[in-house]
Amino acid sequence: MILKSEYDLVILGRGAAAFSAAIKASEITAGQASIAMIGFGPLGGTCVNVGCVPSKYLIEAAKVVHNQSHPRYPGIDSIKPAINSGKIMGSLRDAVKEERVNKYENVLKSYGNIDIYEGRARFLDKSTVIVDNNGDSEKLNGYNFIIATGSSTKIPHIEGLEDTGYLTSNTVWDLNNLPGKLAILGGGFIGLEIGQSLERLGTEVTVIKEHDTVAPGIEEEIGAKLMEILKSEGMEFRTGKKVMRVFSRNGKKIIETQSRRGKEEMEVDEILVSSGRIPNVAGLDLEKAGVEYSSKGIFTDETMKTTNPLIYAAGDVVDQRYKLETLAAGEGSIAASNIYAGTEKKVNLQLVPWAVFTEPQFASVGYTESGYNQTGRKSITRTVPLDLVPKARILREEHGIFKMVVDSETEKIVGIHVLSPNAAEFIIEGVYAIRYGLTFRDLIENSHIFPTVAEGIKLTAQSFTRDLSRMSCCME
Amino acid sequence: MVSKKVTMRVFGMTCDDCVRTVSDGLKDGGATEIFVSLKDGTASAVVDDSRMKPEDLSKIPVFGEKSHYKAQVRKVE
Repeated sequence: MILKSEYDLVILGRGAAAFSAAIKASEITAGQASIAMIGFGPLGGTCVNVGCVPSKYLIEAAKVVHNQSHPRYPGIDSIKPAINSGKIMGSLRDAVKEERVNKYENVLKSYGNIDIYEGRARFLDKSTVIVDNNGDSEKLNGYNFIIATGSSTKIPHIEGLEDTGYLTSNTVWDLNNLPGKLAILGGGFIGLEIGQSLERLGTEVTVIKEHDTVAPGIEEEIGAKLMEILKSEGMEFRTGKKVMRVFSRNGKKIIETQSRRGKEEMEVDEILVSSGRIPNVAGLDLEKAGVEYSSKGIFTDETMKTTNPLIYAAGDVVDQRYKLETLAAGEGSIAASNIYAGTEKKVNLQLVPWAVFTEPQFASVGYTESGYNQTGRKSITRTVPLDLVPKARILREEHGIFKMVVDSETEKIVGIHVLSPNAAEFIIEGVYAIRYGLTFRDLIENSHIFPTVAEGIKLTAQSFTRDLSRMSCCME
Repeated sequence: MVSKKVTMRVFGMTCDDCVRTVSDGLKDGGATEIFVSLKDGTASAVVDDSRMKPEDLSKIPVFGEKSHYKAQVRKVE
């Protein structure tokens, strides 16, 4: 294939945001925009290769094991299934490959206007990048650029960590033998998902955190409930502890922590670092392109335009609250539309739903109670325990919470937060409610299927005006 | 009145009919001295900047939301 050196659009990155931008730009321009996509590693970026796809595969496999060993209904014996971790992890890697081939490699073949470049890009000036690949360099010129280089695992500076070795959410998928004892440093949401899955597959999992809460930033009572549920399954949480040092002893990894109660040592087989993600801005020479950024990412306006009006950014590399595949893909599409369709589309983070695929799942959209109050407006809220939802009782999965945040004057819904089975499947109701300015009374007026867990949203809306314990099923 | 020459990248043209449609659209949008290249996917035209911002030439109806053609203003001189 003969590649050009002049492009209408040069995209730095090959993940969800990059693909979405390239495809949208191709659709708008009838495939006539010449596009270069530059990156390294497998196509598709974090989500398909080391993020959502493998983690959800592992979660579902672990759920099967858990349901067999913890049957929810009387009369069904508990069995402890034999686990071949090598086969599970091998099939997980096959599933990742299948998704990557189907949704990225094959998709790309149908766009003749997109050229793929292997390597790391850096700006030479406002309209040129250099692509470095194993000692070779190539210069590409572009009129517009979209920076979609994603994010990487943040590795904390801990004495001995590098020498002792550790896993991240990039490398844990390469395991064949699951560790007997695993310590998760940081315990972010990715760590909780992987931790619960491995715990269900037989690993002893301990989360070590400096914070006392399991998940800062989410509704406090929901975070506390999630930690309580994970603890009840056997995960250990050592909170309020700072990791001071890591070292090896007799083939084990030793973690030395410090807390108000003094120093402690913990011996494990493996360490998983899960302390957040950092935007991939290093080495891009953004200064040469007039693109401003900080350690939190690239500055953009709501149209995804950077401080250089011809350069946009999308996805995890952007300085923004969320790092989500769906948001990245949405932003890539917005950037391409604004470049080629003359639109002024904007991203609205208050309408972005997100989820943690622990069991139960946590899903959220919009403001938390404290977040809304910090805007200077006042909220009223209602919290409904999951055991008030009939379907949850039928499922025998009653541990969870529904919380709704509404504006105290307009009664419009501004946030919905759910910890329940399948919460990620129905949080979209909250997105529509917020987007279209619905009040909790609007939700009550619409029938919800009975019995469903999603009915909990309606029950929470009803709890603003009634005592749920004095209502029969399906009342409006 | 100050005449400005606008050079544009035009997407979506596949035939001579497209060239004619885009040329007519530019004329209807108030441009003169129109030249459209199917081969290069470009157009150049002159606009009176007291009547229209040269940058807005990519927003005239022939390049609008429902149109098959899209344009980017690349140079104003």
